Amino acid sequence: MSGTTYVYNLRDLKFILKEWLDMGKLLSLPPYAEYYDADDIDFIVDNTFKVCRDKVAVVNDDADKIGVKFEDGKVVSPESFRDAFKAVNEAGLGAGNADREVEAHLPYTIVQSNYEMLCAASLAFTGYWGLTTGAISVIQNYASEELKEKFLPNMCAGEWGGTMNLTESGAGSDVGANVTKAFPTDEPGIYKIKGNKIFITGGDHDLCSNFIHLVLARIEGALPGTAGLSLFIVPKIWVDDDGGLGEPNDVVTTGIEEKMGLHGQPTCSLSYGENDGCRGYLIGAPPDENGKASGIRQMFLMMNEERLMIGIQGLAVTGAAYLHSLAYAKERVQGRKFTDPKGERVRIIEHEDIRRMLMMQKSCSEAIRALVLKSCYYYDLSHDSEDPEEKAFAEGMFQISNPLCKAYSTDMAWLLISDAIQVFGGYGFTAEYPVEQLARDCKVLSIWEGTNYIQAQDLVGRKFTMQKGKVLTDWMEDIGGFIKSHKDKEGYGREFEVLSGAFGDMNYILEEVSAYGEGDRKEMTPLFATRILHAAAMLYCGRLIIDQALLAGEKLIELGEDHFDAAYYKGKIASARFYILNIVPQVGAIRRVIGLGDASAIDIAEESFA
Amino acid sequence: MNIVVSMKQTFDTEATITLSNGKINSAGVELVVNPYDEFALEEALKLKEAAGEGEVVLVSVGGEGVAKALRTGLATGADRAVLIDDPALADADEWAVAVALAKAIEQIEYDVILAGRMAIDDGSSQVAVRLADALGLPSVTSVLKLDVDGKKATATKEIDGGTEDIEVALPAVFTAQKGLNEPRLPSMAGIMKSKKKEIKSVTLAELGFSADDLLPKTNIQEFSLPSPRAGGHIVDGEPADAAKELARLLREEAKVI
Ligand SMILES: Cc1cc2nc3c(=O)[nH]c(=O)nc-3n(C[C@H](O)[C@H](O)[C@H](O)COP(=O)(O)OP(=O)(O)OC[C@H]3O[C@@H](n4cnc5c(N)ncnc54)[C@H](O)[C@@H]3O)c2cc1C
Repeated sequence: MSGTTYVYNLRDLKFILKEWLDMGKLLSLPPYAEYYDADDIDFIVDNTFKVCRDKVAVVNDDADKIGVKFEDGKVVSPESFRDAFKAVNEAGLGAGNADREVEAHLPYTIVQSNYEMLCAASLAFTGYWGLTTGAISVIQNYASEELKEKFLPNMCAGEWGGTMNLTESGAGSDVGANVTKAFPTDEPGIYKIKGNKIFITGGDHDLCSNFIHLVLARIEGALPGTAGLSLFIVPKIWVDDDGGLGEPNDVVTTGIEEKMGLHGQPTCSLSYGENDGCRGYLIGAPPDENGKASGIRQMFLMMNEERLMIGIQGLAVTGAAYLHSLAYAKERVQGRKFTDPKGERVRIIEHEDIRRMLMMQKSCSEAIRALVLKSCYYYDLSHDSEDPEEKAFAEGMFQISNPLCKAYSTDMAWLLISDAIQVFGGYGFTAEYPVEQLARDCKVLSIWEGTNYIQAQDLVGRKFTMQKGKVLTDWMEDIGGFIKSHKDKEGYGREFEVLSGAFGDMNYILEEVSAYGEGDRKEMTPLFATRILHAAAMLYCGRLIIDQALLAGEKLIELGEDHFDAAYYKGKIASARFYILNIVPQVGAIRRVIGLGDASAIDIAEESFA
Repeated sequence: MNIVVSMKQTFDTEATITLSNGKINSAGVELVVNPYDEFALEEALKLKEAAGEGEVVLVSVGGEGVAKALRTGLATGADRAVLIDDPALADADEWAVAVALAKAIEQIEYDVILAGRMAIDDGSSQVAVRLADALGLPSVTSVLKLDVDGKKATATKEIDGGTEDIEVALPAVFTAQKGLNEPRLPSMAGIMKSKKKEIKSVTLAELGFSADDLLPKTNIQEFSLPSPRAGGHIVDGEPADAAKELARLLREEAKVI
């Protein structure tokens, strides 16, 4: 069933792209003005919806039930993937979208809107080009013209896959513990690579004819830790000067993981240079005289984009689970109304607790969609704005939102999909309905691309202190200023009161964090980091969704209650109300917990964990 | 090879139909290219690609909103479009639409005219054959396979319980049945290029008609929605008794056996 019914909330996406975000302004900037205007948005997203419904969602069952196989050293994908992969590439929805130099490329906000629809169709399947996009970005930004010409055309066309290789068995969250090595050769810029990488998504499969691995490795003499890591382009098959495929490059796939979910996505173990025959191109310059290398900085470009994409993946599966559970709740008849125990049997959507769970899913997924697409919008402005001040502001807002998008969306995905399963009752636990697959598929999102704790550390450690705290100040001012200028809006008194309270709570939390940093309780920061990230995300999501509600209110007045779209706008206002009155108060609870400052999790002796 | 594709915008197949004031309510309804016309367009694009030259021109009747459907066709690969946009056609019947289309098509060079087997909204299957009649051309309906060879074509047509192969001289009109091909979807690049392609809007006067030339010859008296499905009936009891009771109900009440 899951493979055939495609569900996606196009209306909310169109609200964001056509009504809430000023896409007209973005599309009038130089890279786009000549090619696109706001009227194109419908065409683009409607078409993507069709591709997703007709060509991609149909493989999601195979992704889960057949999955990828490792046979005779080869990774074999389900047969149906071939057509779907071709369709995605032909429709222009594949890795080529990462090419930001090509004429008439789309802004990131639209690319990622398309990506949400694709992930909702089959999250596992999107892994066949998801990391190629990141690899394209890195090569385009940091590699020489010659290397760009050699690799990018085939990667953009979907002929060759791209991967990112950080993880090793001893180096997961601690990327600096990387032991893969690189040795200079007689040919300038070319190094011999030796080491083993694990958990490499899309590291090998049968939909592409070559794989362009981006590999973090340490050149002899470079510093230990992340500072000494360089980034290499390591093709699976060597690419000759004429662009044709040459000899195999001693990159061997030694196995794929058996996983809880995403069965259709290959997670590969790769061995580099087992026979001393693996060569790679160094991206950029070799380590300086102090042994400092530039690989991690280059990889970070890809990681920020990838992290935003993970946030979108979380949103996509959450949204799908919500719509499936909504459809089910409208059909399933069970029990009678609490307020009318002798009345007719009713559909479960008439029960209060089912409504709570549906509203939880609806309001959170809309708030998260606002968060991630606003973040994409800032990302676009940070690239394309012609106003230096706006550009810098947008860059800061993107940077601070990035860990929120990644971690909040994916932590919530697991909880919200759990609610979706709950709505289905026992049927949700069976493979006959799609929600259990979504739960299994989503769990990894809080782990890969830096676990959600690593995101919390990034937020509290890097983003809060970025540019001497200016980014954080801008972000708080954006929220505080918004509350100030709208708090007297009629009909939203309680909502703004709660939001104001949460804003005060966040200020308190930030003061505590800086006190930890200065005082002798430094370990309190990591102890509370995850909760601080959640508080920040809920506050900011509250600010964004009420902004949407205010706009929806205006539309409602303009169109009148009888308009066919009135239900959507009323639903948006209800989402904002629910989110702010039911979820945002948790910021206050986190403030209270931080105020209590309990350190028993740190203080408890390890043996007492028994 | 020049091909004209007659295209209609219809309600999405999943749209819920409601009536207000005795008319079909179109507010908020998702509109799409008539799915059978997508087969027609795909065949046109394939014929053009096989010939290596020529033009695929879309023709439609309707208001400004129909331009969206035409643009989808242009994004899929058609070269240009003509839209007969005239308020006098708001209540046009199949005859009027066919006659108007014929006039517009006379001004275009064509070897083949393709249309969908029917429009999924009113399902009357009349426009394409009336169009052929108005142009004095042969027509083959419900085509499952089409081979064009110079000045003639062989079409495999669906008939009751089987198929029929028909050889026909060109130009001719063909209507596409599901199964004729697998329609392609537009690409992002196609969507962008479609903006530069021409959608020429023409009025009835520009086609040489005067105000009441195309007054409908038929008159819709009433629209009504299908009656809702009656609830099911579960026959209780021991299997043997229940089977007897079921047989009785089928014979006496449902009168189907
Ligand atoms: C399906 C899948 C696909 C993947 N794809 C890729 C890929 O394409 N490329 C790639 O390079 N990697 C990939 N990974 C690897 C992934 O990024 C790592 O699994 C992840 O970064 C965590 O590393 P680890 O598994 O070694 O866990 P560990 O680092 O061992 O972490 C275990 C736990 O300890 C916590 N922890 C670790 N260090 C600290 C610390 N300093 N302070 C507090 N808590 C800490 C973590 O948050 C986590 O909860 C993939 C993983 C999976 C499962």
